[in-house]
Amino acid sequence: MFSVSGVLIALVITSLLSLGSVPILVWMERRVAAFIQDRLGPNRSHIFGFRIGGLVQSFADMLKLVVKEEFYPKHIKFKFYYLLAPAIVFGASYLTFAVIPYSNTLLTDKGLSVVQLLPTELGVLWFVGLAGLSIYGIILAGWSSHNKYGILGSLRATAQVISYEVSMGLVIVSMLLTYGTIYLNGMVDVQGGLVFGFLPAWGIIIQPLAGIIFIITAFAETNRAPFDVAEGESEIVAGYHTEYSAMKFALFFMGEYVAMAASSALIVTMFFGGYHLPWLDSAALLDNPKILLGSIGVILVPLLGGMIYWMRKNNRIKGINEPQHARETKVLTIILAITLVVSELGILSLLNADMSPQVASYIATTTQVLTIVAKIFMMNFVFIWVRWTLPRFRYDQIQSLGWNILLPLAIANVIITAIVIVMLGV
Amino acid sequence: MGIKTVERYGGTLKEKLYLPAIAAGMMTTFKHFAKNISDTTQVPTTQYPLEQPSDITDRYRGQHRLTKREDDSIACVACFMCATACPADCIFIEATERKDGVDEKMPKKFSIDLLECIYCGYCVEACPCDAIRMDTGIFSIIGNNREDFVITKEKLLATPGAFGKENSRAR
Repeated sequence: MFSVSGVLIALVITSLLSLGSVPILVWMERRVAAFIQDRLGPNRSHIFGFRIGGLVQSFADMLKLVVKEEFYPKHIKFKFYYLLAPAIVFGASYLTFAVIPYSNTLLTDKGLSVVQLLPTELGVLWFVGLAGLSIYGIILAGWSSHNKYGILGSLRATAQVISYEVSMGLVIVSMLLTYGTIYLNGMVDVQGGLVFGFLPAWGIIIQPLAGIIFIITAFAETNRAPFDVAEGESEIVAGYHTEYSAMKFALFFMGEYVAMAASSALIVTMFFGGYHLPWLDSAALLDNPKILLGSIGVILVPLLGGMIYWMRKNNRIKGINEPQHARETKVLTIILAITLVVSELGILSLLNADMSPQVASYIATTTQVLTIVAKIFMMNFVFIWVRWTLPRFRYDQIQSLGWNILLPLAIANVIITAIVIVMLGV
Repeated sequence: MGIKTVERYGGTLKEKLYLPAIAAGMMTTFKHFAKNISDTTQVPTTQYPLEQPSDITDRYRGQHRLTKREDDSIACVACFMCATACPADCIFIEATERKDGVDEKMPKKFSIDLLECIYCGYCVEACPCDAIRMDTGIFSIIGNNREDFVITKEKLLATPGAFGKENSRAR
């Protein structure tokens, strides 16, 4: 079921998705926010004239935070706890990723194995435990910075997370009843099937209410808008990270984005079919490698072609001839075109050769990994989109939404799910 | 004195559900996002150093200049009205006798410290000879040290106006 190569591949994917995606997520956040508000966002910083749509800005920001002076406020009594807090927040967010299955079609000498970082079947429990743990980092930060705003922010965050964790736990219970397993890969397997004979059996289709409640509580768990009272700038400066600077602040900042990506990954795994393409389960992918490869080759053309077209249309300033932009567009067009041609040639040569089961499994695994990565990024986009649409809730509204609305709905959902399962005799 | 009854919102089931309103709001923001990402060149942002502002009108208070008379001589008569009106005390004038018969007095030195200047335009208002104007349209002034920002009479006279009206319109 688990294999060393699966764990190693999962380690790479997890690191890329959590650490590697932070600059991309920050860039996405800033550019999406800008486009939503009819602005352009950061697009200036460049390396030798290459802006890559402003992505370089994130790396510049990160470099700045790394080389910034490590400053410790004088009034801090317990420097150990002060330093431990951002590490807990970041570490807990990072470890949440460890139980996400990325694929179950990797063929090894022990048969088909799951690509998952931790070889354990306690998936959901691990997530719930660690999501709760990251709040210790936040309250430790607020307490050890010995600052009124810090402690207020961390208290808000704690009370909010505790309130929403109840509903989240109950929603997870109803999903466990539905899928009959706590193992995330088992849940994804169930979602590979069909419901009513034509719809993919995704969690959001079987249990729409649970899906909505889970997404709302996930927003609250990650302290993101509209539930970001913990850092309400207008009232409490920056909340729990008021006294933090340089890399210590960056760890909180990165922790927020990693937690967002981890929540997205769990939402995708539990409610949006995980690594499954709709209507195509793992067996279908493994049985038809040539059709799969051919369709990837067909999809690549409009995908990369669209990227080239979009870049040539948009990487310029209206009415101004800018040599730097023109050069960047030219070089990136050539790179993308070469990528397209090389990958198409590779696909063609694979299509002509004989398909061993090993190669078929690699193709299926790649497809599934790319599917879940695409889904996670779509969910991240939803997180960002919501942040720039909804204003922050007032604190009493948060509590009343959590306890008066979501909790009764979640309890009712568990009871109804249980009754339906008993009635159907599944 | 009638009573105006204000209609209260939020009572219906649809409004209490809150999700339709969220969906509508997200549609609005997504429309903006889709419009802007499909063609970023129509975003109204001015990409400044590459793209220069196009909305500077003749009333814009830019860097100062000294105007000339029809015969190309300096219009200023060194009356000190501008220096007196200046709230930032950034105009330094040294007067001298004018010997070419056009007028009786002219500035020997006339310098403005642009680091002190607050661009209020009082000097332009105060001038009886239309000799000092702020119609150059220059909004970005660059220098390597403080002295670079003190502009002299020669430089003030050499800076052209940006809006076509060159000479002093006094008398």
